[in-house]
Amino acid sequence: MQRLTGVLLLTMSVGLSGAMPAAQGRVGGRGQLRPTPKAAAPFDLTGYWTAVVTRDWRFRMVVPPKGDYAGVPLNPAARAVADSWDPARDEAAGEQCRSYGAANIMRVPGRLHITWQDDQTLKIDTDAGTQTRVFSFAATSAAGGGWQGTSAAQWEVLPGVRGQPPLTGSLKVVTTRLKPGYLRKNGVPYSAKTTLTEYFDRVTQPNGDTHLIVTTTIDDPEYLTQPYLYSTNFKLQADATGWAPRPCSAR
Amino acid sequence: MRTSAHGAAILAGLLALGVPLLGQNAGTPSGPGLDLAGYWVNVFHQDAGLATGGGMIGDYGGIPLNEAGRIYALSWDASRMTVRQQQCPGYVVPYFYFAPQSFRFWEERDPYTQTLIAIKMYTQTTEQTRTIWMDGRPHPPAYASHSWSGFATGAWQGHILTVHTTHLKRAWLRVNGVPQSDAATVDEYFTRHGDRITYVSVVTDPVYLAEPWIRTVDFVRAPRDPASWLYACDDAEQIVGRPDDVIPSHLFGQNPYLREYSEMRKVPLLGALGGPESTRPEYVATLAAATEADALPRLRPAAGPLRASVVPDPDPGDRQIHVWPVQGNVYMLVGDGGNIAVQIGEQGVLLVDSGAGRLSDKVVAAIRTLSPKPIQFIINTSFHPDHTGGNAPLRAAGADPSVIGSFFSTQFADAGRGATIIAQLNVLNRMSAPAGRPAPTPAEGWPSDTFVQGRRRKYHNGEAVEIWHRPHASTDGDSFVQFRRSDVIATGDLFTTTQYPLIDVKNGGSVHGLIQALNDILDRTVYKAQEEGGTIIVPGRGRVTDEWEVAEYRDMIAIIRDRVQAMITANATLDQIKAARLTVDYDTRFGATSGPWTTDMFVEAVYTSLMQPPPATAGLR
Repeated sequence: MQRLTGVLLLTMSVGLSGAMPAAQGRVGGRGQLRPTPKAAAPFDLTGYWTAVVTRDWRFRMVVPPKGDYAGVPLNPAARAVADSWDPARDEAAGEQCRSYGAANIMRVPGRLHITWQDDQTLKIDTDAGTQTRVFSFAATSAAGGGWQGTSAAQWEVLPGVRGQPPLTGSLKVVTTRLKPGYLRKNGVPYSAKTTLTEYFDRVTQPNGDTHLIVTTTIDDPEYLTQPYLYSTNFKLQADATGWAPRPCSAR
Repeated sequence: MRTSAHGAAILAGLLALGVPLLGQNAGTPSGPGLDLAGYWVNVFHQDAGLATGGGMIGDYGGIPLNEAGRIYALSWDASRMTVRQQQCPGYVVPYFYFAPQSFRFWEERDPYTQTLIAIKMYTQTTEQTRTIWMDGRPHPPAYASHSWSGFATGAWQGHILTVHTTHLKRAWLRVNGVPQSDAATVDEYFTRHGDRITYVSVVTDPVYLAEPWIRTVDFVRAPRDPASWLYACDDAEQIVGRPDDVIPSHLFGQNPYLREYSEMRKVPLLGALGGPESTRPEYVATLAAATEADALPRLRPAAGPLRASVVPDPDPGDRQIHVWPVQGNVYMLVGDGGNIAVQIGEQGVLLVDSGAGRLSDKVVAAIRTLSPKPIQFIINTSFHPDHTGGNAPLRAAGADPSVIGSFFSTQFADAGRGATIIAQLNVLNRMSAPAGRPAPTPAEGWPSDTFVQGRRRKYHNGEAVEIWHRPHASTDGDSFVQFRRSDVIATGDLFTTTQYPLIDVKNGGSVHGLIQALNDILDRTVYKAQEEGGTIIVPGRGRVTDEWEVAEYRDMIAIIRDRVQAMITANATLDQIKAARLTVDYDTRFGATSGPWTTDMFVEAVYTSLMQPPPATAGLR
């Protein structure tokens, strides 16, 4: 009885979300090893991707003026922090990378190099700010606290219909334990309490151009009045052309 | 208890088999599907202020505009929106998902097979219904009409709904003058994550964009009906007493509001002007070093040769005649030079123009598929051979029963044996010659029923047909033809969708008269909603359209006229005017560098018209 109820709850949960987390490399029902996250990837994320900056252009391509936080659902405390932004102070404190943290790094104009670090770990290197994000499909005990925090990853795939294989799905990444940073280069803050939820999808145009679409939700009970939503796009490159690692800049 | 446990087991079993439950549609022949049905609102955390305000003048950063697109935007005057036809337009697909509004999605399924036929969507702000066909149907031909929502077909790329849209109207990409041409297409991707849709739009516009423009926006599910679904808009005279040939625009380099955005937002002017390079990461360094001087050359057309249209002619050019239903009793025949409008009914076939005459046998065959009645009347809108070349064979293939047996037959043995050709007298004058002199065209093709008044009228096939002569427009003999019950206007050379207007100055044409003629057409059109539908236009060449594009065409000619006039006023020579590339923002759509009617010839015709005293071109009112 209890066991059946548990099955029911599991199935209801999966049914309501409309998606299933993919196997994590555990032993399957007939003693077979389930594929690793790398092997189970419903689409290929690896390669060099370049940002195509067409949204929030003025906030991303130039440093917006102090106090220009239009669009970000900030509370008064956050506005006060943003209004006191001082890049010289950040430089003096060695914190030039405040706008290169996980909550904003995908918005910084630059390129990504995505690779599998191992069967359980996907890695994103950025040339802008020379940052590295590590997405772990396995349980992690990482302490976090850095600009990129700790990221837990899983594939979300829709089950195949009537015996067909699973559809191409999304990569879901939840990042926590972040060092406080900036949502925009002009000092719009996010706190250590931030939870960053991202979905990575890949689309291919009829002309063959392939894009990585990152759907982002930022929950920050300290500085935001509601979740901050944005999405970002990158174009797949054939090679490393343009890859130019450079340090963080506070200005 | 037993039942409950049994049910749970079934549920688990269904899942194991991969049968989707809530949040997913059952598999259908159309694809796996995701449920988009419901109410959605877009989120403005990105580009705040831009979407709700449409962008400031001079805010084009991140848009891969080419030179034509940039110059068009720089010349655009916000007062243009006071022009009557600009007041209530709908939103095109590349714009409306980025505008502040709610959406309602639903599905249309075959009631017997539950196959997904279409995904439909209604947009709040402009009362538009968009259909995304999921049944694999082909896109219409190039000579079919365009609309704000375009023609969209969808498919599934895994869990992502992909949509390809063509047949869009010419419109804006931003409400600050950034243009989108009617040659634009859009590839879209809808991905759902819980109660959020991420929408990706890739606009390809060979006329105004140097490369495809990709953007994303997010929608969130609205738990309740947003309730406000209507768009109360009706156009009116906003500038009382302003002549309707006055179209606000800025001359090159004279947009007084250009720097407002860059100064307020601290964006280098070079970056604000956009371009494909402005979307690349490397551009950050360019902007850091940019000066005002870097931007100045981009405010005017660059020196260089004129560009030709990059938009294919809608005529397939396959030596076939293509029939397209226009509206009511009226059809359009495409394929033999100028378009031929065909009105059918109980009395007999009435044609507006006869084409070039190269495929007249096929024209007759096509007409026979529409009506068994004889070709009774041919109305010529012009003497140009594109419109009269088929007069003789089509006349010979027809008959005018209204004459056979009348008193005419007592005077002319061949009365009614052949269609009657109607035209303004100057058409006959241009096609014929005084007795004893060689005529430019054979007599068999000459109009047999001419008129000199401004309006010739006829009740035929159950509807009023009005022929409006417009003096000194393309030539001195042009007419447009209005079918009042079908609500269709055939414009002849007064309006085309393929080229700059043919202003035949030597034969009485003028830019003043042409603009007046277009305004006269617009005085007789009524749109159904949001500048769409209602009175349908059959152009002299090109695709079926409606008043919106006639107005846009009128605006273009008036703007170019004003640019030429400004240079004339500044004592520029014709060569200087031609070298100034005054048509640069329209050339990639309408320009020609070879053939019978080039951009150079058009500019010269405008210049010549302006150097002559304006002819009397009183309007219809």
